[in-house]
Amino acid sequence: MNKRQLYYQVLNFGMVVSSALMIWKGLMVITGSESPIVVVLSGSLEPAFHRGDLPFLTDRVEDPIRVGEIVVFRIEGREIPIVHRVLKSHEKQNGHIKFLTKGDNNAVDDRGLYKQGQHWLEKKDVVGRARGFVPYIGIVTILMNDYPKFKYTVLFLLGLLVLVHHE
Amino acid sequence: MGSAQYVTASVSANRLRTSLGGEGNAEASKMAAAASQGGRAGGGGGSSGAGGGSGCGTGSSRSGLLDKWKIDDKPVKIDKWDGSAVKNSLDDSAKKVLLEKYKYVENFGLIDGRLIICTISCFFAIVALIWDYMHPFPESKPVLALCVISYPLTLACQFVLFLFCVYVVYFPLNFICTYFVMMGILTIYTSYKEKSIFLVAHRKDPTGMDPDDIWQLSSSLKRFDDKYTLKLTFISGRTKQQREAEFTKSIAKFFDHSGTLVMDAYEPEISRLHDSLATERKIK
Repeated sequence: MNKRQLYYQVLNFGMVVSSALMIWKGLMVITGSESPIVVVLSGSLEPAFHRGDLPFLTDRVEDPIRVGEIVVFRIEGREIPIVHRVLKSHEKQNGHIKFLTKGDNNAVDDRGLYKQGQHWLEKKDVVGRARGFVPYIGIVTILMNDYPKFKYTVLFLLGLLVLVHHE
Repeated sequence: MGSAQYVTASVSANRLRTSLGGEGNAEASKMAAAASQGGRAGGGGGSSGAGGGSGCGTGSSRSGLLDKWKIDDKPVKIDKWDGSAVKNSLDDSAKKVLLEKYKYVENFGLIDGRLIICTISCFFAIVALIWDYMHPFPESKPVLALCVISYPLTLACQFVLFLFCVYVVYFPLNFICTYFVMMGILTIYTSYKEKSIFLVAHRKDPTGMDPDDIWQLSSSLKRFDDKYTLKLTFISGRTKQQREAEFTKSIAKFFDHSGTLVMDAYEPEISRLHDSLATERKIK
C-alpha cells in the first residue's frame, strides 16, 4: 500500500501542475493569443496603463486591428512584448495590414524600436489586442523580476508550504 | 482569484524574460499548488483513505485485545483541530481493523482505477505541453483544444468509478466519451452528497465457493463538524444482496485531548458494525 500511497502523492502534485497548465493552455485556445495575460512593464502608455497592470489579450481573426487600439506586439529578435497604441495603419482588400505604433506617453513613434530597416508592423508580430485589464496586480511580478532573491525566497516558501501541507 | 491571475501573470512575465516556457510553468505550478491547496481544489485530491493520511501506526501493548496490531507500535497522534487529518486517521484505523482483525484482503480495483485515470489526465496535459513546444502556438490550436477538453473529462470519469465500484472488478470499463460526460456531470453532484468509499475488501469464503463477499467502508465528516459517520456495506458473494450498517458519533469519543486516537474506544464500534452484518448473514 505504501507504493500506492507514494504514487498517489506524486500524482496529486502532478495533477496540480497539470491543472495550472491546462488552465493556461485553455486560456490560450479561447483567446487565440499565445500569451493571453501580460504585465505592463513600463509607463509608456500612461495614463491608460500603468506599470504593473495586467491586460487581457485576444487575438481573433475576426477582430481587425484598427487605429486607436492598444496592441501587444513582439519585435523580431526581441523577446519582450511591447504594449502600445496603433497610430497609423495601411490595410489592403485582402485584410493584410501594416501599422505603426506609439506609446501614449512617448514623444516619438516606435520606429526607433523596430528592427533595422523595418518601418511597419504586421499581423504576425502581434501577440494580441488588449480587451480589459486588472490594475496593479502585476507589480509583484515586476518586483520578482527586479529582485531575483525575492523570487527565489517566494518560490522556496511556496515549495515548503506544498510539501508540509501534503503531510 | 487574484492568485490565479498572479499565476498567469508570473508565467507571462517569465516568458517576457526567458524563452523557456518550462521554467515559467514550473513557477506557475507552485503558485497554483499553493492556491489550490488553500482552496481545496484539484480533482485528484480530496480525502481518500488511500492517500495522504497521517502515518498509521496504532496500538499499544497494554491490553490483550490490541496485541494483534502488528508493526507500528506508536499510537496515532494528530492535530485534533485538523478535520482532514482526523478523518484520514479514523479511516485508516477502520481499515486496519477490518484488514487485520478479520483478515480480509483489500481489493485495489477502485484505487487503481483512480490512479490510472489521473495518470491519463496528466498524460493529456503533457501531450499538450510537448505539442505546443514543438509547433508554436497558432498551429497547435486544435491539438491544444482537444487536450484541454479531455483533461477535465477524464477527471470526471473518476466519479463514474464510484458508481461502478463494485463491478469494476468484474467488468472492463468502456470508454465511450459522451456517456461519460453526462454521467460525469451527474455523478459529480451525487458524489459530493454521498459518502466517499475508501475501502473495498474481499473476504475469501472459507468453504472455497467462487464469488467472494465484498465489504465496503465509507465515511464522511463534514467540514467543521464533529460528527463522523462510518458506513459498512456487506455485499454477499452468493446472493448479490447488499446490507449496510452505520454509526454516527462525535469524534470526541475516539480522540483524547492530546489528539491521540484511542483504539480501545474505536475498535469495538467497528467490530459491532461488522458483527451485526455478519450475524444476519449466518441467519440467512
